[in-house]
Amino acid sequence: MTTTSADYSPLVRELFEHPRAAGVLTDAEGEVAQGEAGTVASGAWVRLHLRIDRGRVTEARFQAYGCPHTLAAAAWLAEHLPGRSVDDPLPEGVGGLATLLEVPTAKLGRLLIVEDALGDALRRWRERGVEFVPPAHT
Amino acid sequence: MSVLVDPVPAVSRSRAVYMDYAATTPVDPRVAAAMAECLTIERCFGNASSTGHAFGSAARACVEKARAQVAALLRCEPAAIVWTSGATESDNLAVLGAARFNAPLNPHGGKHIVTARTEHKAVLDPCKQLEKEGFRVTYLKPGADGAVTPEQVAEVLSPETVLVSLMHVNNEIGVIQDVAAVGRLCRERGVLFHVDAAQSAGKLALDVGAMNIDLLALTAHKFYGPKGVGALYVRRKPRVGLAPLMFGGGQESGLRSGTLATHQIVGLGMAAAIAAAEMQDDALRLSSLRQRLWDGLATLGGVHLNSPLDCSIPHILNVSFEGVEGESLLFGLEGLAVSTGSACNSATQEASYVLRALGRSDALAQGSLRFSMGRFTTQQDIDHALERVRAQVGRLRALSPV
Repeated sequence: MTTTSADYSPLVRELFEHPRAAGVLTDAEGEVAQGEAGTVASGAWVRLHLRIDRGRVTEARFQAYGCPHTLAAAAWLAEHLPGRSVDDPLPEGVGGLATLLEVPTAKLGRLLIVEDALGDALRRWRERGVEFVPPAHT
Repeated sequence: MSVLVDPVPAVSRSRAVYMDYAATTPVDPRVAAAMAECLTIERCFGNASSTGHAFGSAARACVEKARAQVAALLRCEPAAIVWTSGATESDNLAVLGAARFNAPLNPHGGKHIVTARTEHKAVLDPCKQLEKEGFRVTYLKPGADGAVTPEQVAEVLSPETVLVSLMHVNNEIGVIQDVAAVGRLCRERGVLFHVDAAQSAGKLALDVGAMNIDLLALTAHKFYGPKGVGALYVRRKPRVGLAPLMFGGGQESGLRSGTLATHQIVGLGMAAAIAAAEMQDDALRLSSLRQRLWDGLATLGGVHLNSPLDCSIPHILNVSFEGVEGESLLFGLEGLAVSTGSACNSATQEASYVLRALGRSDALAQGSLRFSMGRFTTQQDIDHALERVRAQVGRLRALSPV
């Protein structure tokens, strides 16, 4: 197998070499949702930790096993989630993310794993029954 | 009149370390010098088939000298060497040529071929073509050490078998297969035996007579010669019949038509002569370099050795790293030229067959690297490689949820 540096965009290389949100979040106040998707056997495994406060992600971290596109997508997501609503955490969609990272068609499945990890984290958070209460209108 | 030519881009030496000798080797300066001599208007530019004049006969002399050099490497007579464009062509000519010529001569139909799943595609794809032509092919699976044994071959030979094809050294892990024993077996049973020696020619001593080999493929660019030229050894006593693939001027006794590329052939001959003289020293030096590399990698923990150190060529070290994905490892190691067992980019997404035979899981096979070294590898290269690999493996393991 051979790959060339032309197969990866500069953004993917930057995210791969300098991920800003790698790691885990501790759950002292019960605000952290953990989700994951994929397996080592399938070649991509992503875990996300999200700290959520009143319906918004305030902090996010990622761990990932997989190819550079997988790592870059997970790194990008963890970096950009803070501030986003849990109802619409990825407005650009997987397609938008693919365009942004210049992911080749053959690798699009990796982005779905990252999206699934996000979905898994939010599903688990909702199942805990913590609901977002909108501020009262005055 | 001069023509401005853009300089060929040079690889930045400060960063790049080459450890992919099994993929290809740099041309030895002595080989390049010998080839360059052929490319001037003053020297042997003539057509080696035009022996009627001095220009042609000068080229012919260069070609025949090279033929003797390659023959010496295989311990055969020069007349048994056929020039080709490389091991792929040699393998195609051997497999397709031997099957098509000899099947009709076999009283049982002669339409059975034996080979292994671990063969190079240059052997496997001709076999697939022969299946379309009505041949039955048995693809043997390697054992737990990655090698196919003579016993396995013996089990599947039949009166209809016309050809056995088995590589001498496996390109992925470097394991040496017992081709001499398979040769003996095939000779006893009257079956033709072809050996793809692309990874062993110029590195291991070869004696096609003693090893009972009927057809042997080699290529220059694996032992410091140029790309684009190789040879096929074709036994003459008793003569092995081959149906040619190329038709035209009838060169190489009709087996391979096409004007001979004198400079390429001279390069292959010189590479062979140098290899014959230096291969033992190279092997000793590389054995200790490989041990240094393995000892350094083993300290990382969670590293599996895929090359059996006691029965593989010292040039190749294949290892698998737990908890590390191969494509990311390779990407992070940019500047260190190695090969990987990762199939992320392959059409079939199948992990390496050899590594699976060794019992490696798909994941572990994906996280594997093949380091291959050669004549110009230094201890500094090994230490540099170790530093880079340690750093990347550590980084990727830290990022991983495993």
